[in-house]
Amino acid sequence: MPTLTIDGIEVTVPDKTNLIEAAKMVGAEIPHYCYHPGLSVAGNCRMCLVEIEKAPKLAIGCFTPCQEGMVVHTSTEKVLQARKDVLEFLLINHPLDCPVCDQAGECWLQIYYMKHGQYESRMMEDKIKKHKKATAIGPTVTLDQERCILCARCVRFCDEISKTSELGIFNRGNHAELDVFPGKELNNKYSGNVVDICPVGALTDRDFRFQCRVWYLDTQDSICPGCSRGCNIQVHYNLDRPHHAEGRRVLRLKPRFNPEVNKYWICDEGRYGYKFIDDESRILMPQVMRNGGMEFVSWDEALKASAEKIKASIPEELGVLASPQLTNEELYLIRKLFVEELGATQVEFRVPPKEEGYSDDYLVKADKNPNTKGAEEIGLAVGSAEEILKAAAEKKLSALVIFVHNLVNSGLDDSLVKAALEGVETLIFIGSNFSDTSEKANVILPSATYAEKSGTFANSEGRVQRIHEAVPPLGESLPEWQILNELARALGLDWDYQGTEHIFAELAKDVPAFANLTYEILGDQGQTLGYVPPAEEEALVEHGELEAVRAT
Amino acid sequence: MSIKITTKNLNIPNYNRLSVYREHGGYEALKKALSMEPAAVTDEVKRSNLVGLGGAGFPAGVKWGFIPKDTPKAKYLVVNGDEGEPGTFKDRYLLEFAPHQLIEGMIICSYAVGIHKAYIYIRGEYIRQIKIVRRAVEEAQEAGLLGENILGSGFNLDIVVHQGAGAYICGEETGLIESLEGKKGFPRIKPPFFPAAIGLFGCPTVINNVETLSQVPHVIANGAEWFASIGTEKNGGTRVFAVSGHVRKPGICELPMGVPLRELIYEHCGGMRDDRPVKAVIPGGSSSPVLTADHLDTKMDFVGLRDAGSMGGSGAVVVMDDTTCMVDVCANIARFYAHESCGQCTPCREGTGWVSKILDRILAGNARPEDVDNAVRVAKNMMGRTICLLADGAAMPILSYLTKFRNEFDYHVEHKCCDVKGG
Amino acid sequence: MAVEFPPEVKREFDELVAKYEQTRAALLPVLHLAQREFGYISPEVEEYVAGLMELPPTKVHEVVTFYTLYHKTQPGKHVIRLCKTLSCHLLGAHTIKDHLCRKIGLENGHGTTPDGRFTLELVECLGACEFAPMMQVDERYYGPLTPEKIDEIIDGLTDEPVVENVDEG
Repeated sequence: MPTLTIDGIEVTVPDKTNLIEAAKMVGAEIPHYCYHPGLSVAGNCRMCLVEIEKAPKLAIGCFTPCQEGMVVHTSTEKVLQARKDVLEFLLINHPLDCPVCDQAGECWLQIYYMKHGQYESRMMEDKIKKHKKATAIGPTVTLDQERCILCARCVRFCDEISKTSELGIFNRGNHAELDVFPGKELNNKYSGNVVDICPVGALTDRDFRFQCRVWYLDTQDSICPGCSRGCNIQVHYNLDRPHHAEGRRVLRLKPRFNPEVNKYWICDEGRYGYKFIDDESRILMPQVMRNGGMEFVSWDEALKASAEKIKASIPEELGVLASPQLTNEELYLIRKLFVEELGATQVEFRVPPKEEGYSDDYLVKADKNPNTKGAEEIGLAVGSAEEILKAAAEKKLSALVIFVHNLVNSGLDDSLVKAALEGVETLIFIGSNFSDTSEKANVILPSATYAEKSGTFANSEGRVQRIHEAVPPLGESLPEWQILNELARALGLDWDYQGTEHIFAELAKDVPAFANLTYEILGDQGQTLGYVPPAEEEALVEHGELEAVRAT
Repeated sequence: MSIKITTKNLNIPNYNRLSVYREHGGYEALKKALSMEPAAVTDEVKRSNLVGLGGAGFPAGVKWGFIPKDTPKAKYLVVNGDEGEPGTFKDRYLLEFAPHQLIEGMIICSYAVGIHKAYIYIRGEYIRQIKIVRRAVEEAQEAGLLGENILGSGFNLDIVVHQGAGAYICGEETGLIESLEGKKGFPRIKPPFFPAAIGLFGCPTVINNVETLSQVPHVIANGAEWFASIGTEKNGGTRVFAVSGHVRKPGICELPMGVPLRELIYEHCGGMRDDRPVKAVIPGGSSSPVLTADHLDTKMDFVGLRDAGSMGGSGAVVVMDDTTCMVDVCANIARFYAHESCGQCTPCREGTGWVSKILDRILAGNARPEDVDNAVRVAKNMMGRTICLLADGAAMPILSYLTKFRNEFDYHVEHKCCDVKGG
Repeated sequence: MAVEFPPEVKREFDELVAKYEQTRAALLPVLHLAQREFGYISPEVEEYVAGLMELPPTKVHEVVTFYTLYHKTQPGKHVIRLCKTLSCHLLGAHTIKDHLCRKIGLENGHGTTPDGRFTLELVECLGACEFAPMMQVDERYYGPLTPEKIDEIIDGLTDEPVVENVDEG
């Protein structure tokens, strides 16, 4: 734990901390391009030069470990001049593309030029032409070689993280250029990350290119619902410019750093899995079967119709298929309403997928649901989906409530699904998008997507993490917790949940695994199930009981 | 004083064959070394003041001493035969005409440091030399001078001759190591400043120039004191100068460290072609700042040349007479570095190319007055800010021409033609 | 074209790799071997070598494009490397170049002659400045060059590459 002085401020840092990271701790920014905390150090951009007292030359912050007693200056005249000079070198062969470059607004050449450059151009020579401009190099990424500053972050990413090595820097000197192997593609399960880490407009996202200028984007923290890893993400959206991107509000997802879950990365499956949020298949209004056809109705009417059908069913004739796509708060309300209040016994949340999902030994999990762990802990695995459907097919159910799931095209037997969906008298579907299953419903209640609501998911390792509303629920859709609250009221219960935090507090009291957790404790990085507050933990250690508590 | 060490026997026919080398006392130093304690061998080299003759002039024995004694890792010796500094060709002679001298030096070094595997990295174009060194290694193997239990000493050493593929930067020792590992020759970030602890395959590595190791048998055979007595106070022994340009007799020329430049040109290289006056001299390869005729009395060792504002470098001396246009020379050198920059560090990748283009424009009579100052500025801006010294090695000479012959550059700008060559 | 070393060359490859502590270290010599075998290093050859050495093809392509001695396209029967660096430049490399181009029938100053006989590369210092101006034809160095000497050398070439035979004498 060396103590050093950076810009006059003393700071003690963990061993092996480099100067860029240490400077952050005292609020000093050392500009850099090639350095990325999730990758090996290349030391090639030379932007992070700083002055260290008693050192003969400026040193690169990324490769200089903090040492006891070191005195570092990050903005002396010498340092500022070096930055300006390095920037000038970076820009002499960089095209003047900014007006048409999709990176504009989040380009570190632009940002640092405004902060540290601002010189008159002295470059009179012809810029070096390179081969690939606006060229797709795979399904997700577009390459512009002239914009590339050869920091090699993307090359290191493909070598060290995706371990696919599709990218290389070919030729040498000022003719060096980033590319894929001739005739090959950049195509791996994590390819989109190279766009995130590209500090300039050399690698841009084919999905996002020219959909929206980045300065029109707002951001909200969330959790990827694509699998049970629970990667931390940011939802980038725009509510003000419906004439952009065909009116889509959510325009891209970006990974959000969480050292315990996904570090700096997300997979492509998650990254590009957001389209359903603004898709045409969204259900915008409640619908009820009347006179042999589905009719749009008000929420009051829909809830009333649902409540009547549910009331008419005796507990044994009521089936509920909850979903591991739902938040803990929602699953808790499902348990409370259907199991505890209505006494339903045919309750389940697991529906087997048609085929095992892709998984790897890095981020991607085979279970494509964000909250299987939470649903398990809350206790919604009472029966099995197959048994419930059998009961429905055999007309032993009078009402079946299905949340989110599309049973058609699932791992369940097709004929069983068909028989069940057609056999049950009342089929209430609660979900965000139309599907083959919703088509069979006689009541449809439109729900919000994860980007339109708040709540928590527990990932496969039991880390409970919060999602937040980025955009309002589309049309008249509502978050499931609100639908459940209203449905309970329609059933004559005096529920009055004001928000998800309210529900979570109750959940934490009721469900042992969630004990001691609050939204505050979850913060923006989450906390694991079975959490023991530090003070209590100390006491338990003293009494030798910690292991016993953890074991629960 | 005329004394030759490494090039003394180069004219003997077939000296590159083992039998001839042995007839002239070859491998006797090895026998002596193998009878000594390894530490005593290193000590002898340290006391001899033998310095690295590739360009840096760092004491060879000290470098050997950096290798950790107790390490579970393998240790390697790598010979830098990637001779690429413009003007330099001395190692070509030592490889072609005295390969066993190098091999003997390598075995002694390996014995001293505890190394059992050595690589000779030779630039890819030196095909003749590669073939000859390979043959010499085979001869030595057959004679029990390499392989297991060398000369019954119990010491083992294998040597692999490695062909480079055309890249000046591989002469930089960490670039060479990367290249030897099958990669682009990107110099490694420092520290470590020496590959002593983390070198080839991440293992402790001694890396020495061909000429340096070729001196070693003589240091051992004749003793440190003898070697140190030749040359100057800090730079022991001789060095092989490679002289080219406008001299009557270009070629290699082994002389004691510290020989005056004037003596080198006029006594050993036949003086100037057509008896024209010296205008400028590059004293240590193209990376060394140029000297003018005022510096002919400079002592040609690392210290003397440093004091004269240049450097000893690779011992390559390029002599230019008064018909030479310095803008032309400077632009030629700049083109070389732009071509050879590996491209990893921004200031070097962009700076070498930029300054070269500016100089080409000045040379072509297509420049504006501010271009000369801009060339100076660009050259300065790439110094001291990169992983290796290629950028400095480009900037230092370029600045020396721009400073010492500024008038010629200004003339080119103003008159769009050359005042030396006319036209 | 199916790119594959014939059995005897594959043996040579195996021996080469065995000399090094790590397979990848043999990449430069293996590429020299592949160039000898296939004439030049095409992307197909790179992929073949990458497969043999268990390397990503990009790492092989990086190396092939970084070093100047690997041909990326089919060169002529003779590869001429004419030095243009300082000592050769001082002693008239430019005049030599003009003469050489005329002699071999190359119009634009570098590249391969229309008859496919010669490839001229203008290269940086070859380390033979005492013979300035100089050039390398295939394996052998020639210098100091004069127009007459160029004629003599070029006229003396057969269709076979010039080989350095060190056991000649």
